[in-house]
Amino acid sequence: MSSKEDKPVEQSQSSWKDFIYNPRNGEFIGRTARSWALILLFYLIFYGFLAGLFSLTMWVMLQTLDDYTPKYRDRISNPGLVIRPKAPEIIFNRSAPSEYKEYTDHLEAFLSKYNSEHQKNNIDCTPGAYFIQDNQPLPKQVCKFERSLLGQCSGITDQTFGYSEGRPCIIVKMNRIIGLKPKPTPFINCTAKKDDKLSVNYFPENATFDSMYFPYYGKLAHDGYVQPLVAVKLLLNSSDFNKKLSVECKIEGSNLLNNDDRDKFLGRVAFQVTVTE
Amino acid sequence: MISGFSLLLWAGAVLCWIAYGVQVSQAPDVPRDNLYLGVVLAGVVILTGCFAYFQEAKSTNIMASFRNMVPQQALVWRDGEKKQILASELVVGDLVEIKGGDRIPADVRVISAQGCKVDNSSLTGESEPQSRSPELTHENPLETKNIGFYSTTCLEGTATGLVISTGDQTIIGRIACLASGVGDEKTPIAVEIEHFVHIVGGFACSVGVIFFVISLGMGYKIMDAIVFLIGIIVANVPEGLIATVTVSLSLTAKRMAKKNCLVKNLEAVETLGSTSIICSDKTGTLTQNRMTVAHLWFDNEIVSADTSEDQKNQSFDQSSVTWKHLSRIVALCNRAEFLAKQEDVPIMKRAVMGDASETALLKFSEVVYGNVMAYREKNKKVCEIPFNSTNKFQLSIHETDDPHDKRFLLVMKGAPERILDRCSTVMLNGKEVPLDDSFKETFQTAYMELGGMGERVLGFCHLLLPEDEFPDSYPFDVESMNFPTSNLCFAGLLSMIDPPRSTVPDAVSKCRSAGIKVIMVTGDHPITAQAIAKSVGIISEGSETVDEIARRLNIPISQVNKKDARAAVVNGMQLKDMTDSDLDEILRNHGEIVFARTSPQQKLVIVEGCQRMGAIVAVTGDGVNDSPALKKANIGIAMGIAGSDAAKNAADMILMDDNFASIVTGVEEGRLIFDNLKKAISYTLTKNIAELCPFLIYIIVSCPLPIGTITILFIDLGTDIIPSVSLAYEKGETDIMNRKPRHPKRDRLVNWQLALYSYSQIGMIQSVGAFFCYFTVLAQQGFLPARLINIRVSWEDKNDQDLEDSYGQEWTYEQRRYQESECYTAFFVSIVISQLADLIIRKTRMNSIFQQGMLRNKVLLFGLASQLIIAAFLSYCPGMYDALRFCPLRIPVLVCVFTLCHTNLDL
Repeated sequence: MSSKEDKPVEQSQSSWKDFIYNPRNGEFIGRTARSWALILLFYLIFYGFLAGLFSLTMWVMLQTLDDYTPKYRDRISNPGLVIRPKAPEIIFNRSAPSEYKEYTDHLEAFLSKYNSEHQKNNIDCTPGAYFIQDNQPLPKQVCKFERSLLGQCSGITDQTFGYSEGRPCIIVKMNRIIGLKPKPTPFINCTAKKDDKLSVNYFPENATFDSMYFPYYGKLAHDGYVQPLVAVKLLLNSSDFNKKLSVECKIEGSNLLNNDDRDKFLGRVAFQVTVTE
Repeated sequence: MISGFSLLLWAGAVLCWIAYGVQVSQAPDVPRDNLYLGVVLAGVVILTGCFAYFQEAKSTNIMASFRNMVPQQALVWRDGEKKQILASELVVGDLVEIKGGDRIPADVRVISAQGCKVDNSSLTGESEPQSRSPELTHENPLETKNIGFYSTTCLEGTATGLVISTGDQTIIGRIACLASGVGDEKTPIAVEIEHFVHIVGGFACSVGVIFFVISLGMGYKIMDAIVFLIGIIVANVPEGLIATVTVSLSLTAKRMAKKNCLVKNLEAVETLGSTSIICSDKTGTLTQNRMTVAHLWFDNEIVSADTSEDQKNQSFDQSSVTWKHLSRIVALCNRAEFLAKQEDVPIMKRAVMGDASETALLKFSEVVYGNVMAYREKNKKVCEIPFNSTNKFQLSIHETDDPHDKRFLLVMKGAPERILDRCSTVMLNGKEVPLDDSFKETFQTAYMELGGMGERVLGFCHLLLPEDEFPDSYPFDVESMNFPTSNLCFAGLLSMIDPPRSTVPDAVSKCRSAGIKVIMVTGDHPITAQAIAKSVGIISEGSETVDEIARRLNIPISQVNKKDARAAVVNGMQLKDMTDSDLDEILRNHGEIVFARTSPQQKLVIVEGCQRMGAIVAVTGDGVNDSPALKKANIGIAMGIAGSDAAKNAADMILMDDNFASIVTGVEEGRLIFDNLKKAISYTLTKNIAELCPFLIYIIVSCPLPIGTITILFIDLGTDIIPSVSLAYEKGETDIMNRKPRHPKRDRLVNWQLALYSYSQIGMIQSVGAFFCYFTVLAQQGFLPARLINIRVSWEDKNDQDLEDSYGQEWTYEQRRYQESECYTAFFVSIVISQLADLIIRKTRMNSIFQQGMLRNKVLLFGLASQLIIAAFLSYCPGMYDALRFCPLRIPVLVCVFTLCHTNLDL
């Protein structure tokens, strides 16, 4: 009885051992050393070949691409609009520098690219006209966008960008898109979302992205390109403090989309500002 | 719905909901992707579950039609009057009356009977009607004549009986209980699918868990890791597979039903294909189930007659005068008659009143003579003595149709030796010559030869009564036999057999080349059984039994090396005394086995013996008492015409035409479905790698997700379903009936070879192709491959509206999202297109694609087209982006995808 029952256990044990290493035919996990070598060799060659094929096709594909402009640019035919400081909601106490330091540091870092020392090679262009350099040699020239154009929001005179007085500066930036030529000159218009009255100051005063900064020729061709900015200084009064203010800035006066259903950031940007005293 | 893949999918769905719940608690305005995905996954499980259920229900419905029997009535004496009540209301002690044609309503003890005969064939397998009378003739209730059994039929006469047991207590009831007691074993295909689920499920789980841990280790949040886990599970589980399997099985079941095999249990379809032993009945399955004249002996010569199913005339030499006389006796000395109004029915199919051998003779003479009934009309019968067991002959006296000959003709047929005893002359070549000893010897040889072929032999003789002794008005009297019954003239012998169906020998040889052993199990006499076995090829030409070897070599049986004998004929009596190991030895040592004189109970023993050898056994049966064997067998096959309801209930399959050849077509279909399922599974598995890799790359490289989980579901449940079902329509490959039955342990549906081939070879090629598309789509829009590394966090950050690409352009979140769905679509399309090529690869296993023919499987072509159409619809139909995140691809991308995948796969 017992021997009968023991048998299968023994068998299964030995079959496990046999599976790992079978001394009778020298099989290791079901295959002989030779067979393992062959199969590994096969996979080595096979995967080597696949990797080679993949690299080759990728290389060929990359050869078909241009170094300066992407092959297709239809996904981003319209630019998005973003603000600096980069935050969906700006909350600070105007009398607590530690609370807005984050924002002002961010603005300072962002604007440092526009310092004069970085723009020594940039040229002064003719305002109101596209700066077309299609046939110019590389690298393309860059139009100067002086930080001082941002006036009170340049951070030169007021290093707290108005945050300390509770009238914060927001910088509106339009996404870079190669070859984009807005027509006619677009300008930024910021409004409060609810019926709140909101008065703002724009810098430059006409709130435009001047045509001379367009078109953009791409990172490689247009090294050191500075994109035009519009700074918005929210002129908040004491009645506006301590409550959440919804602001929406739109790009207007041009052919650029600002009311796309799906993309809420195409030609417009919404953000909230809460300033406490 | 709660096993295998379904469990994994449930897990995925629950994880989705948990993930969504956590997301909502963190930020209320998260997209509901996870919620929807969970719902979709649960929906998939429920849908496939319902689908499988309805398919099963459909085939169960066919069965239900069998059960719609009129409730049985019984005529019973109650309160001093006869009443008609339902058989189910009978109680022990009731007095019931039975008449010819009734089914006996319970087990009864006969207390009075008038010429009562019952058909016990469904219970004991005896095909002859049994007479019932009040006397106890045997101790064994099954043998004694005074018990009538529940569900057997009373053929003729009347009887009164006392109910001794009802319902489950009856003999039949007990057998039915026994049948239900024999455990239902899992069908091989169920085992295979389970095995497959283990492999794939194990792979999915281990990869999922490994990457869950890796992603946690790489610093991903638990939430992200759960989302990855869901992705990996969804990518790995072949969601559409169960539906494919069910559809394929029911398609095959339908196809088999057309070929007269009705499959009750869908999974049994495949079981038949893996069958390695068929235990077949003889009567009705291998044979035509009707006596037919097979040989004649006259003028010292044996002539064989045509025994096929649709004979119209006999081709042997009919010019001899002896034959004219013999045929006249055959036609006249016969009481059987055709039933009315069957003139346009083929002779062999006409219904006849009379016993089996008389029917055979009637049909035989109808074939050679034309209208026998008219012929008998012209040769009027004046007197007759029917056959009885004491005389062992049948005699009749006729007027002749010769107007110039007023003599009466006396014709007689019966047991050959008895007939010969009554003869003094013999007709040879038309002349009457005295019967001498040398003739007796030739007669004996002929008789032995015919008998040795397992045939039932009858002798025929006649005499023209002299006109002077027996004038027109002679009063023939049967009681006093006032006419000569000896010194007759012997005319010849006729032998009859229940001939094999004409399709059977071919079917048996097909079985043989397919490596299937056919064992005959019959209640018949060994000699008959052996003769039939030889004529259908179950015992092949040149094979000998131990007895035959002994006779040939003239040595005692004990000296014969049993291994020399390929064939064996085992008698039921021998079987009774055998131990299991004796039986095993016989089954192992002999390739060709016939079990004769077996009781249906012994069938069970034989089946168990075969199963002990590891064989997958198919058993045919018709009687009630076959049901335990049918149940025990891996696949029980009941006869549709001759089968009893109990047998049909116990069986997995019903043979509508009772023909053995249909089993063989069934085997072919079963093998085909296994092959085709294998093809479908390897087809389905291939893309799993291409669906899984994106997640792994996504986790490791942290690039934008190449393909979304919903998109994966669209491949698994959308584009891939029709093609994988279409593989079920693939014709068999050339070797399908020339290879051994699959070994249940070794030849698995999914083995490492298949998994490795699908996963690590074709799957990798697909992935490489798909990734190429992914990189191409992104690179052409400005994100070169190098830029993609580690971009995931900012790519998926909704607050990052100015992500810079390789060319210095800035993208909003929504623009990236649209780009991502283009990646999904490109990845999707490239998988779909490489699956097109994969489908063509999977079309064949052994044959080359040219042998198999590209255009023969129209459904497969439709499948190819459907894939393209669905893919095109998903990517080009407006609004798909909002609904499912598919977006249109550029034609050049498509062309690039197409060529790349195909060059890859055609390697």
